[in-house]
Amino acid sequence: MRAAFSGKRPGRLLRLLLLCLSLSGGSPADAAMTTEDASQASYLTKMQAGLNESSAGLLFHLSEPMITTGTVNWQTQGSHSDHLGLGHDASTPGPDPTTQEVKQATKENVSNHTFVKYEITLPGVSSKSVEETITLDRATRIELSCRLDHMYSSLKNFQVTWRKGNETIRHISKTEKSWSIQLEILDNSNLGSYNCTLKGEEEISAVFHLQVPKIEGKEKPIISYEGDTAVMVCKSFGYTPIAWTWYVTNGSEQIAINDSLLADKYAINRVSANVTHLKVLQLTKEDDGVYWCEAAFELGKSKGKLKLKVLSFMVPLKPFLAIVAEAIILVTIVFLYEIYSKRKEKCAEDEKEFDQVEQLKSEENNGLENSSTRHRRI
Amino acid sequence: MGYWDHWAPTPWLPVLPVSPSLGGDTGVAGPLGSALSTRFGARPVAMAGGLLSGLGLLLGAFATHITHLYLSVGLLAGLGWALVFTPSLGTVGRYFPARRALATGLVVSGASVSGLALGPLVPLLLDTYGWRGALLLLAAISFNLVAAGALLRPLPVTDRPPGLPKGEIGLVRLLRHGPFLRYALAFVLVDAGYYVPFVHGEARAHEVGCDEEKAGLVMAAMAGVDGGGRLVAGWLAGRPATPLLRHLFVWVTLTGLTLLLLPLGTSFGGLLSLALTYGFCAGALVPLQFSGVAEVVGAGPLVVHAMGLMQMFESFGSLLGAPFAGPFQPGRFCEEGMRQRRHAYPWSSLA
Repeated sequence: MRAAFSGKRPGRLLRLLLLCLSLSGGSPADAAMTTEDASQASYLTKMQAGLNESSAGLLFHLSEPMITTGTVNWQTQGSHSDHLGLGHDASTPGPDPTTQEVKQATKENVSNHTFVKYEITLPGVSSKSVEETITLDRATRIELSCRLDHMYSSLKNFQVTWRKGNETIRHISKTEKSWSIQLEILDNSNLGSYNCTLKGEEEISAVFHLQVPKIEGKEKPIISYEGDTAVMVCKSFGYTPIAWTWYVTNGSEQIAINDSLLADKYAINRVSANVTHLKVLQLTKEDDGVYWCEAAFELGKSKGKLKLKVLSFMVPLKPFLAIVAEAIILVTIVFLYEIYSKRKEKCAEDEKEFDQVEQLKSEENNGLENSSTRHRRI
Repeated sequence: MGYWDHWAPTPWLPVLPVSPSLGGDTGVAGPLGSALSTRFGARPVAMAGGLLSGLGLLLGAFATHITHLYLSVGLLAGLGWALVFTPSLGTVGRYFPARRALATGLVVSGASVSGLALGPLVPLLLDTYGWRGALLLLAAISFNLVAAGALLRPLPVTDRPPGLPKGEIGLVRLLRHGPFLRYALAFVLVDAGYYVPFVHGEARAHEVGCDEEKAGLVMAAMAGVDGGGRLVAGWLAGRPATPLLRHLFVWVTLTGLTLLLLPLGTSFGGLLSLALTYGFCAGALVPLQFSGVAEVVGAGPLVVHAMGLMQMFESFGSLLGAPFAGPFQPGRFCEEGMRQRRHAYPWSSLA
């Protein structure tokens, strides 16, 4: 909540209002940069720089506070943060058959794919399942590993299985207590949830969710009026989509917006690599509803939801007229009261005058009487 | 680095486009308001000001370009507010010459009330009616200023002996009035630093690690005690123990001191307590600043002119202060605090 304050002059309120207006969505959104934009721009440039490095391997430390360059957007769940650790030998794959495989695989595919590794340390027999969400926007070679925490090294006689859905994947044992799979994520079908399961006396499992970057829409509806223009903004954080598409919801269907076909109604503008604007002109009630912006990545598509509300001008007009009427009534009351009190004063003054005149008259009469008595004496 | 990033476009965003219209917002219009009210009386000018401010916001609701907004809301409405402000304060001072400080304190505390009320109200209006509807309803609320202005009943002109110089000559006389110039200059400097905590406070709170809610709390608390400070200072100065200007000196010094100490607030608790102290002192000096004008130039018709002129000077101070404080934030606090204190001295000698 932004606390408005009262400065010495009403100008402070004015500035706050203008600030609010320029930051809220709506048609005079020509204020190019907002505070959000400024901070996001710096964040995004950092991300781009990180992801463009195609090194032999990028290692991710899954400890809570640290974020290294090249970090992709993930969510860490509090439940397993205590148990996250890093295998000490996971940094350099030695000259064993697995590396041979890896190297061969690299030669087959395009060599400038990034290669990332993720590892989860299994928390033992706690009932909470451990999950990790990994966001990928382009084709990647990825290694997922599960490691048994040294606390539970007493566990023997267990079977390790890696699965995606029902399909079992062949895994390799990196060490005595860690197992991994290597995947090539080339298209949407490779994304999904991969889990490793340790079946012994108890069953322990961990899941990796591989997904495309999420696009955020706006929670609050954008409010606009009939005949006005509305601008809807969609941003992708950290990843550059290949293309943007906008959809409008008609009933239960989503219809793509073709702005060259309906040029005097819609205008789609890719303001920057990660930001897209949809301008809807000549708003009518029918434009009210849900809109979707879809970002296409190499590995799939992701949608963000926006709501547009089109109001008629009657809606704010009623409270406006009510308040103006109230102001007029107040002014009238003030003036009427003033006239009334002035009249009272005048009446009081008139009475005073009247009394004075009476007094004078009676004095005169007395005077006359005196003079007549004087006459009589003589 | 993080702080400046967060603020990069914003201090200029409200100020720069508004600065041409700042002329309307108590800048140039300050003396205009006082001149008009001397000529026509406070009531018509205040009512006209209320009408203009409502009209400006109303026109803004129909704006089709951002420059329209700055012209209508900034220039027109700003002009309206300026026309209301100076005559009102001058008239209130004249109604209650014995308890001028308290009366002024009550009047300016109204600004705090509206500030606190509008804090949640404006976002609510924006969410319900969009920005156009919000401007429309704020225009309606502004029209109530006409009713407020109607209450400024003209006083029988007893304190103006015949043959007194007219408006312009009065203004010229003021510009040559030494004590007044020092007084106005002191407040130019005060204003340069005064708004810094209000403008940059939230960002500073984020810097020291406060989340959204806590930062909002600090700002709201500062605004709240600001209102309290205005009332208390007005009431205190009414007690006949010490002259008003001494009171003002004390409050300005305290404000400056607190400003100096503000960079030391590096935790939520520390920042909150410093913000509360600052808010209180900053609020306290407001009514005393305006009622002090009467002490400096005498309680005649010059008072209203003096207020208008002082406001004009002040607006330049505040224009420069807040944006420049952005990149030099901690240093600026110290600078402005020291300036305030140094210049509190000259006009205290007038007391």
